This record gives sequence, structure tokens and C-alpha cells, in this order.
Amino acid sequence: MFKHTILSLPILALTAIAAASENAPINGTVQSRCIIQTDQAGTFGNPNAYTLTTSPTDGGDPAVIRYDVTLADAYYAQISIPTSFSSSPTLPDQVTWTGDTTVKTISDATGMGSYETNKLELGDVDRYDLTATGSTWFETTSTAVMGGSKAFPGGNYTAMVTAECIAK
Amino acid sequence: MRSTLASIAALLTLSSFASAHEMIPTYPQWEQSVYAGVQTTTMQLFNKREEIEYYEIGVFDEAWNPLRFVTSYSVLKVAYLEHALFDIYMRNSDASKAVYICSRSKVSRRDSVRTAVSSRICSKIKKEGS
Repeated sequence: MFKHTILSLPILALTAIAAASENAPINGTVQSRCIIQTDQAGTFGNPNAYTLTTSPTDGGDPAVIRYDVTLADAYYAQISIPTSFSSSPTLPDQVTWTGDTTVKTISDATGMGSYETNKLELGDVDRYDLTATGSTWFETTSTAVMGGSKAFPGGNYTAMVTAECIAK
Repeated sequence: MRSTLASIAALLTLSSFASAHEMIPTYPQWEQSVYAGVQTTTMQLFNKREEIEYYEIGVFDEAWNPLRFVTSYSVLKVAYLEHALFDIYMRNSDASKAVYICSRSKVSRRDSVRTAVSSRICSKIKKEGS
């Protein structure tokens, strides 16, 4: 009898815990997020005296930017190519800039396959409608050519790529 | 062997998350502040960009015109892998026009020949009833 009672107590206790937790709500908030990651900042190659370029064939590296999105159809990605140096030595002439942004890799071929064809080109800015969740890698190339084929002075040069994630 | 593979996977994961910029909420809402005629909202920034220390905050209308607002600092110092909570205050008249709250990374000058990536994330203010 005593043994039976001792056995029953833990069972009753477990039942009580189960009953207590049966109606316990689990609350949580899912935040939609857009995360911008710089996978590769990019470097300029110098194939000749008057050109700086991120082209790999000329010794450069394009900038690679990854967007991670956790809510579909909630964001635009906007990426601007450089149009000036943010830091440089004093330049002898005007610089002509060219560049482009393209989709490099996607994590969802079905949902993101049309990103590149549907992109909106607004001058120096490319806008992508991020309609699917997942990761997208964008590659931005840039070339700066000094006017009059004059040489770039020796020194440090930085040009800015702006990667934006804008909630719709 | 398995632990080596797991370590490599962990390193790859860490490295792929080592340079990100994140801001929430995506759709902030104004609340009445303790000051009459002033609205407020709280934002959170997370700096996973090792090379970035400062983020500039901006509030814009539908046409991307900058609006006046008050926060502790318009340029926040956020160390690598740290969160920063900041409150934004706006007068009712300005708050009604505000559409975007943005944070933009400030890229420091370096001794190199490179392109630098400035990241900007913009949340969209949720209006009542939307």
C-alpha cells in the first residue's frame, strides 16, 4: 500500500506538470530582416597608367555583396556603382567612370531566377525587387579612366559602392 | 575527421557572417513620447562588419528628402558584433511625413587601392491603419 502510494506521487506530479503546461502559450515575434553582407570589398587593378579597374583579367577584384532576406516581397536591393573617388591623391584630369551590377549567385533558382532580367536600371543605380526569401550575391564592377590618357598619380584610391536594402 | 569537417563548416559559417549590417524593426511604428507633440520609435542596429565602426542615421520622406529628428547621436559608434538601441524623436508634424528610417555605414579611409562597400538599410514606418 505504502509502495503504491509512493509510486503514485511522481505520476501525479508529472500529470500536474503536464496539466500546467498544456495551456502555456508560446509567444514569439518573427522579424523580417534584410542583412547586407560584404563578401568581397573589391580591389582595383592597374592595367595601364590611366586605368583602374576591378576586372579580374586586369588584376582587380569586383565587389561582391550578399543580401539575406527572411521575408518575401518586402525589400528592394539598390546598388550604386562608384562615380567618384572617396579618397585619392590630387588628380590631373577628369575621370570617366563605367560599371555594372549583376546577379552572381542565387540560393533559390525558381524564386530568384528572374532578378537579373527584371532589374531596373536607374542611371548609376540598379534596383532589384527581392521577391523571394534567401540569399542573393551581387557583383559590382567598376572602371575609372583618366582623361587625356594621363597617368593616375601614385597613392591610395578608394571608390564607394553603395548597397541599400529598402523596405517596401 | 568529423570534428575537423564540423570545424571547417563552422569557420566558413562564421566567415560568411563576418561582415554584415542589420537593422530592425523593418516596419517601425511611432508612439507618443513623454513629451507633448513628439513621437518616438526605437530601432536596433547590429554591426557584423568588422571594418566598420560608425553608422549614420537618417529619416526621410516619401521623396527621400531628409527630415529633422532627434536621437542621442546621428552618427553612432557601434563596435564589431555589438547591438545598438537608439530612440528617434520627431515632432508630430515631421513624424507624419516620415517614411524611411535608414542607417548607413561610414567607411574609413584606408591605405589601399580598392572599392569600398557602404551599406544602407532603410526601414519603412508603418502608418496607423496600414
